[in-house]
Amino acid sequence: MQHAVSTGLIFDWDPMWFSGVLFVLTYLVILSDRINRAIVALLSASLMIIGGLLTQQAAMRGVDFNTLGLLTGMMVIVAITRRTGVFQFLAVWSAKHVGADPWGILVMLVLVTAVLSAMLDNVTTVLLIVPVTLLISEALRMDPYPFLFAEIFASNIGGAATLIGDPPNIMIGSAVNLSFNDFLINLGPAVVIVLIVNLLLFYLIWGRNMHAKLEDRQRVLNYNEREAITDFPLLWRSLAVLGLVLIGFTMAHHLNLQPASIAMGGAALLLLLDNFSRKADDQSRSIHASFSEVEWVTIFFFLGLFIVVHGVESTGLLAMLADYVLAWTQGDSSITAMAILWGSAVASALIDNIPFVAATIPLIKSMAPTFGGPEGLMPLWWSLALGSCLGGNGSLIGASANLIVAGFAERSGHPISFLRFMLGAFPLMILSILISSVYIFVRYL
Amino acid sequence: MTARLVMDPYPSVLHKDETIAKGVELLMEHRYRNIPVVDDRGCYQGIFGVNCLLRLVLPKAVLLERGLTTVPFVSDSLRDLRIRLKEVEDKPVTFCITHNVPVVAPDTPLVETLLTLYRTHTSLPVVDPDSGCLLGVISYWDVGAKILEQEI
Repeated sequence: MQHAVSTGLIFDWDPMWFSGVLFVLTYLVILSDRINRAIVALLSASLMIIGGLLTQQAAMRGVDFNTLGLLTGMMVIVAITRRTGVFQFLAVWSAKHVGADPWGILVMLVLVTAVLSAMLDNVTTVLLIVPVTLLISEALRMDPYPFLFAEIFASNIGGAATLIGDPPNIMIGSAVNLSFNDFLINLGPAVVIVLIVNLLLFYLIWGRNMHAKLEDRQRVLNYNEREAITDFPLLWRSLAVLGLVLIGFTMAHHLNLQPASIAMGGAALLLLLDNFSRKADDQSRSIHASFSEVEWVTIFFFLGLFIVVHGVESTGLLAMLADYVLAWTQGDSSITAMAILWGSAVASALIDNIPFVAATIPLIKSMAPTFGGPEGLMPLWWSLALGSCLGGNGSLIGASANLIVAGFAERSGHPISFLRFMLGAFPLMILSILISSVYIFVRYL
Repeated sequence: MTARLVMDPYPSVLHKDETIAKGVELLMEHRYRNIPVVDDRGCYQGIFGVNCLLRLVLPKAVLLERGLTTVPFVSDSLRDLRIRLKEVEDKPVTFCITHNVPVVAPDTPLVETLLTLYRTHTSLPVVDPDSGCLLGVISYWDVGAKILEQEI
């Protein structure tokens, strides 16, 4: 599928070679972690245009503004909501609800993390929950490792359940026009099963031996969760807007709205509710503060990446790769789905899953004729979503959320070693993918 | 007119091997905000001060960068804080010294020195740039006294 987007490559280079080499170099530099990934993606995108592979207009057509809008809108909503202290409230309330029993706390924090990851996104969730977790484990005089390990798993598993839970799902949903409900109905059951199985394993690994002294548990029980709420009026406004946005996501198809419109609309409404009573000067400061909470590095990384992948796609290279994959799987949907599930899981455990998914989406799209049109691709999309989200649990660098937890752990004096994490996490990730394989096979193949 | 003119050349110091208990005792006894820490050769190692003390008694998790911005729900008692301090009292002061306080060289111009003092909000160590040795400390009180003794 060759698109006529090129204005003529410099030095008469072969477009497929040029885009392929640039694409591989981009991934290698991102993988090396030597240069910020947003810089790499933007530079590579610029080279696609300056090199003559894409015109600026063609490059912009490759950018998925639905993904960017959804991410930005949700980041603004969460940035305002977090100021209310509601997330600390939830974590402390959960810990007290189980009498500050360590295993009970782990279960509750896993559930809170998984649900919040599904409703917000997993990176934001761990940013909000992990500091409270460290506080609680310190009060209990316990090693925070089991809690942090379990939260990493919960964030990636919970994030797999919905359209907005994990960046790969946002990208897949946007590219294929899948709704919030599509993800929840198709991936929700698998996520629940995987979460329960992992909780059972956490119990066998740590839960049986998690004990804290009565005096230390009392310290946690003395926490007053209501004091965590610092702004009740803003809390009600934030929850109302968040509720509206979630309803909007579930009814998006009926309303004929894209997720980005709903998220950006919610963000604008919450900004209004947060600022309408302020003076003009205060409004500027407040809005500036809210916008500064948006992770612009991630947004610009996506922007550059979309252009790079679009450039590669325009040369027909990804379609050619898809043909190779189909030749290898002999066009069998079961084998192809399993290859995508396991391939994306292992790849996501070892490299950043965002660029991997960005490149795989057009590859899967070009398989449509083999599987009888877009409907025949659905098992492949669910395989990609489960593989890339759950695969992130395989190593400490498998997902952004993992790195954030590791950063907190290190700063609190409890560093998580890459090897220790991987030795425990990789087998559990493989088990999750085994469960997902059975799920995909039974339900779709 | 340089930093040397307004520094106290005989400040109280802590040796890097002295314990946190000793450092806290000095802080409390003299109501110091900061005490420079030096090694065997008198080379400057960092600052042990009241902020170090607070850092030791607060839960570690509340001090995390990008972590909790407020913790009104935590209800630790004075006894809890004392227990935290007790746990680290026997560790050397280097366990929690800070390197965030800027230092000045003895030949730093006077106004530049005072501007640094104004911006830092705490006493400044004066350090020999070649040997790294602590030569003295400049406090608000030393500077104030030197200014007031000038006849005009």
